[in-house]
Amino acid sequence: MILSRFARPVGARQRSRTAAVQTAAVFVLACLSPTSHAGLEEGRVKAQVCAACHGADGNSVIPGTPSLAGQPRQFIVTALFMFREGRRKNDQMTPFVEKLSNADLNDLAAYFSSQKMAPPAHKTTPERIAEGKAITRAQNCVACHTATLTGQQHIPRIASQRHEYLLSQLRQFRATTRADFDGTMTSATQALSQADIEVLADYLASLAAP
Amino acid sequence: MRIHNILGAAVLAAVAGAVFAQAGVTPATPAGAPAWKQGMAAELSQSPLHPFAPHLTGRPSKDLPVSKLRVPDGFKIEVWVDNVPEARSLALGDNGTVFVSNRNLSNVYAIVDNGGKREVKTIMKGMKSPNGVAFDKGTLYVAERHRITRYDGIESKLDNPGEGKVVIDNLDPNSQPGHFWKYLALGPDGKLYFNIGSPQNITMPNYNEASIVRVDPKTGTLENFAQGVRNSVGMAFHPKTKQLWFTEHGRDWMGTDLPNDELNVVKTKGQHFGFPYCHQGDVLDPIFGQHRSCDQFTKPELKLGAHIAPLGMKFYTGKMFPKEYQNSMIIAQHGSWNRDPKHGYNLIRVSVDAKGKVTSHPFVDGFLENAAGDPPMWGRPVDVLQMKDGSILFSDDYNGIIYRVSYAKKAS
Repeated sequence: MILSRFARPVGARQRSRTAAVQTAAVFVLACLSPTSHAGLEEGRVKAQVCAACHGADGNSVIPGTPSLAGQPRQFIVTALFMFREGRRKNDQMTPFVEKLSNADLNDLAAYFSSQKMAPPAHKTTPERIAEGKAITRAQNCVACHTATLTGQQHIPRIASQRHEYLLSQLRQFRATTRADFDGTMTSATQALSQADIEVLADYLASLAAP
Repeated sequence: MRIHNILGAAVLAAVAGAVFAQAGVTPATPAGAPAWKQGMAAELSQSPLHPFAPHLTGRPSKDLPVSKLRVPDGFKIEVWVDNVPEARSLALGDNGTVFVSNRNLSNVYAIVDNGGKREVKTIMKGMKSPNGVAFDKGTLYVAERHRITRYDGIESKLDNPGEGKVVIDNLDPNSQPGHFWKYLALGPDGKLYFNIGSPQNITMPNYNEASIVRVDPKTGTLENFAQGVRNSVGMAFHPKTKQLWFTEHGRDWMGTDLPNDELNVVKTKGQHFGFPYCHQGDVLDPIFGQHRSCDQFTKPELKLGAHIAPLGMKFYTGKMFPKEYQNSMIIAQHGSWNRDPKHGYNLIRVSVDAKGKVTSHPFVDGFLENAAGDPPMWGRPVDVLQMKDGSILFSDDYNGIIYRVSYAKKAS
């Protein structure tokens, strides 16, 4: 069931590459600032294969599957790169990423980073929001993830991320089993209790874009 | 051994806590703080400063403002090759192969001339932070976190280098985060010199950490060469005096202007350069320096600037550059993250006159676009290599690009 669902879009990706090249040619000519928009149209086409799980516009509707919309471009490339290198492993993601080129990574990142993040699907209480905010201040999560927790550079947006995904990733970081780019998150989560992680996930998942 | 280390760490943490309390400085989160935040005083706990990371796929030079790079009069700078993701340290083979290392990634690359066109070959994969590369008499040495291996006759088997022979192993028994990637320099004695950095920002190192060591590739014998070195990721031997000069990164979280990163020289084997007690030769550490004097340690030859992150360096011995460049040092500075405004992201030349006076001169600038920006730069220099024609190559790990600096104009 899962296999067949994933098999179809792979074929679609093959067919759409030619179309992507044609679209891109027109797009590049029309574009005055190649660094800011390069790869966006190619990425839109290549991203069709990701839509089944991550949503066509990068806003996931599947619990446990992360949203990619509005994620920093460099973060998306970094995450895909780590999957491709096998440093980060996931039975569903790994087969998709294995064959991607550097250009594919950058095009996908250009597309998903340009998509607007949807309003949060998760709701919580004002008390939990206050508690969660206090933890992000005390732990200085905002130094890297920014004041709005929308991420920057190689650091992900965690605001409005899927609740179950936040829980699972924070728990894995704390258990030191989650692949980590530079050790920062593994170290940072050592100071959290399991209860803190539940509060953080609850708060972050409910946090709307500024 | 391991249990001792853990116990030791617990005792140290307790001692550090007590010392902090005495000094009236409260550590924000001494236990479990991320490695890069360790030692941060409470008043900095809300600081927005954070480290930068390279673009792991590299970025094509055509998308970057390379025309903004500036060099002194008569010099020329150009992109030598791009698409070398996370290009770090550089080494030159006898037949002209340029070897390039990785730190966050796991490859070693060889750049060869393929019918007039530069070709980037990935010759090793799956290495553990193989930051150090050195070449000697047909052999490439690669320093990973945990070991050094040798590849004899490498230039005749770039497409199939095979397994390296181990020179020394077990350099990283604990596999913990810390400054354990290595820079490798070949000594005039044929020995390999490299750093074993400090485990965290500012903690008490164990007996072989925070040092520069050397290994004899013939015997595998390891010796301590310099102590009290927080982390050196650049070193080179003076062509005349044969003394080892090295760059050193100072500690973080002491503010915008303290302490300076250093340029040092080892005059006697075993000299102590101050870490973790004394920084920049004249500033005692608030935790570990209370019962020490800076006079007990060797002082730097030059203060380079706080957090400016000097990395690879080479002495210039080529014939292409003007006379004053002869035997002076070209140093790559990765640029700061632990201060505002940002500085560095450049190359400097450092000269030493007949009286021993050490002076810094600008050499390559233009990567820093906005000192208040985040990120402030579009590229970060890492290591320097002198080519046979006397030109200089340097690497940029942020973009995976290698640049060439040459000189053409005669003095007018």
